[in-house]
Amino acid sequence: MTWKILIVEDDADTAKYIAQGLVQEGHVVDLVDDGRDGLFQASSGLFDLIILDRMMPGMDGLSLLRALRASGVATPVLVLSALGTVDERICGLEAGADDYLVKPFSFAELIARAAALMRRQRNGAELTDTRIVVGDLEIDCLKRLVRRNSRTIELQPREYKLLEFLARNEGRVITRTMLIERVWHYHFDPGTNVVDVHISRLRRKLDAGFDRPLLHTIRGAGYRLSAEA
Amino acid sequence: MRLPPIPTTFRIAALTMLLVLCSNIALLGFIHASTYNDRLSPLRRQVIADASALSDIYASGGEPKLAGAIGDMLAADSSELTIGLYDRDGRQRAGNLLPPPKRQFDRSSGFQTASVSLRNGRRGEAGLMTIALKDGGWLMSGRLFGEPLALQRTIERALMISLCLSVLFGVVCAVILAHFVRRRVRAIGRAVDDFGHRDLALRAPTEGSGDVFDKLADHINAMLDRIATLMTELRVLTDSLAHDLRSPVGRLRVKVEQALALTDPDQRDAALAGVLVEADGLTHILTTVLEIGRYEALASRDQFVWLDPGELLDELADLYGPLVDEAGLVLEVARNGPVLPVFGHRQLLAQAISNLIENALKHAASGAVICLFAQSRGDSQCIGVADRGPGIAQDQVEHALSRFGRLDAARTRPGAGLGLSLVQAIAHLHDGKVDLEDNGPGLIAALRIPGAIGRRSSGAAAA
Repeated sequence: MTWKILIVEDDADTAKYIAQGLVQEGHVVDLVDDGRDGLFQASSGLFDLIILDRMMPGMDGLSLLRALRASGVATPVLVLSALGTVDERICGLEAGADDYLVKPFSFAELIARAAALMRRQRNGAELTDTRIVVGDLEIDCLKRLVRRNSRTIELQPREYKLLEFLARNEGRVITRTMLIERVWHYHFDPGTNVVDVHISRLRRKLDAGFDRPLLHTIRGAGYRLSAEA
Repeated sequence: MRLPPIPTTFRIAALTMLLVLCSNIALLGFIHASTYNDRLSPLRRQVIADASALSDIYASGGEPKLAGAIGDMLAADSSELTIGLYDRDGRQRAGNLLPPPKRQFDRSSGFQTASVSLRNGRRGEAGLMTIALKDGGWLMSGRLFGEPLALQRTIERALMISLCLSVLFGVVCAVILAHFVRRRVRAIGRAVDDFGHRDLALRAPTEGSGDVFDKLADHINAMLDRIATLMTELRVLTDSLAHDLRSPVGRLRVKVEQALALTDPDQRDAALAGVLVEADGLTHILTTVLEIGRYEALASRDQFVWLDPGELLDELADLYGPLVDEAGLVLEVARNGPVLPVFGHRQLLAQAISNLIENALKHAASGAVICLFAQSRGDSQCIGVADRGPGIAQDQVEHALSRFGRLDAARTRPGAGLGLSLVQAIAHLHDGKVDLEDNGPGLIAALRIPGAIGRRSSGAAAA
């Protein structure tokens, strides 16, 4: 799928690095290096995603974002910033950002987050689905029942939440920080492999005794729940 | 248009002067009024008696008899008496008093003082009674002020001089007061100036009297203490940051060099992955240092809410349970008695406790219990982690809390020595502190948060 992405970023190196990566992934990218031009372009509503730097000449990213949201443009916005404390992240999200990524970041993290935003945008209805199917895995969101190949899988409440989040993002790479933010609602990096342990426990319950694993580890990026390998 | 503001010292001086002046005027006015009455009342009685005698004469014999009586009276005593008899047009019929301007008849009734001119050329102040006669004429009868008035004038002169002196004293007094105020303020200002430019140890002078200037100086000194601490910390931090970043940067460099030397693509990829890990570690250190600096310096309470410490611990136990389990340890949440809600930053408190859990994980021996606890201690709420690791000796506590402060025993393990420092910064943000106690054996590390923090901050805002 090809997305049309607007990058508003004054640092030429960062902008080029992101743009190259996105173009390689097969997307169409527009680059703007000034806040005012950024607002003008973004207001067109023609983009699927806006990647927005927080500190820029002309107009800072959050002012741009507030102006954009005030004028009714709902395009998903991913804010990039060197300002990474918890309060600054919360401030960014409150200004209307859909996600907030702190510099320096890995490209895999950026792609994973962008993909999650696009999914939310395109298939918003899916978020309210009460039944999710991934291959032979079946999740009943109302009863919180998980069955694989007609065999019920007993999960702890947190394991269930983890699985539901991964299943709603079927086929997408989800990073560790995304899981910490979305499943535990923490905005700090615990620093250890705390998420990995949760995942490996979930995997033991989910994939044990089946030939084809559903929960895949993507090296250097995160995890993906998918029927395909 | 607004006038330029008046300097405070000038206002103090002017007010002092005005008050001195007012009290003196009131005092002198009272003296003047009472002496004036004392001097004047005998004269007034005489003038009134003269006038009533003359009007009796007019009533019995009319104008001719009155004119004769006036002539007799003036012949008998010409020194002080001033009498004038005038017809309705103001022409003089008898007496030694030159006619005053016509309008004076109309305005005058009863006793009054006026300056008069006599036929013999004398002039002076006199007490006068003016009586309207039946035929439309006027009788003015009075006496010149002699001795009593001279005395009164002397008193008035003395009062005027003392008034002038009081103005002078008022000015001097005001200037001295203003000088005193300015001197104390300047001393404080100079100390603050020198603090900024020369010496962090300088403080504003106090006289020990506990007056407002001492209190002001105390407040300023408290601020200077905090600034000095921050500046010293900053200096130490910059030094240690530069020093402690050398090793991770060094490791990064070595790994890049190793990767460059490799020819096998798979090995090179693995080496580059190691480079990434080092770079992420470096980023983590820098983020943490930034966060510590931010929370120590700027106390923003925008995100503060009332939260239940027990709930916070349950959530963290949920996050860390599996990890602790895998490490062969046991994670428990203990509630010792009721715990009051805490007014705090949910994310940051969670981050602080998670740092304490990570510390406990690093140091605890296998099979031991890591206990998350929340309890009330006096006015404070304590939230923390107890482990059975090696603990921290009491004389090492301060070092353990300092930035990049790694205890010797931990030198061989990974970590930058920032964890506890961040916990402390978060405790400070909540007006609290970090307690590090002996768990016999092990460590009890807790954030001690004053229970009244919400009340205090709102009270401070109201004050």
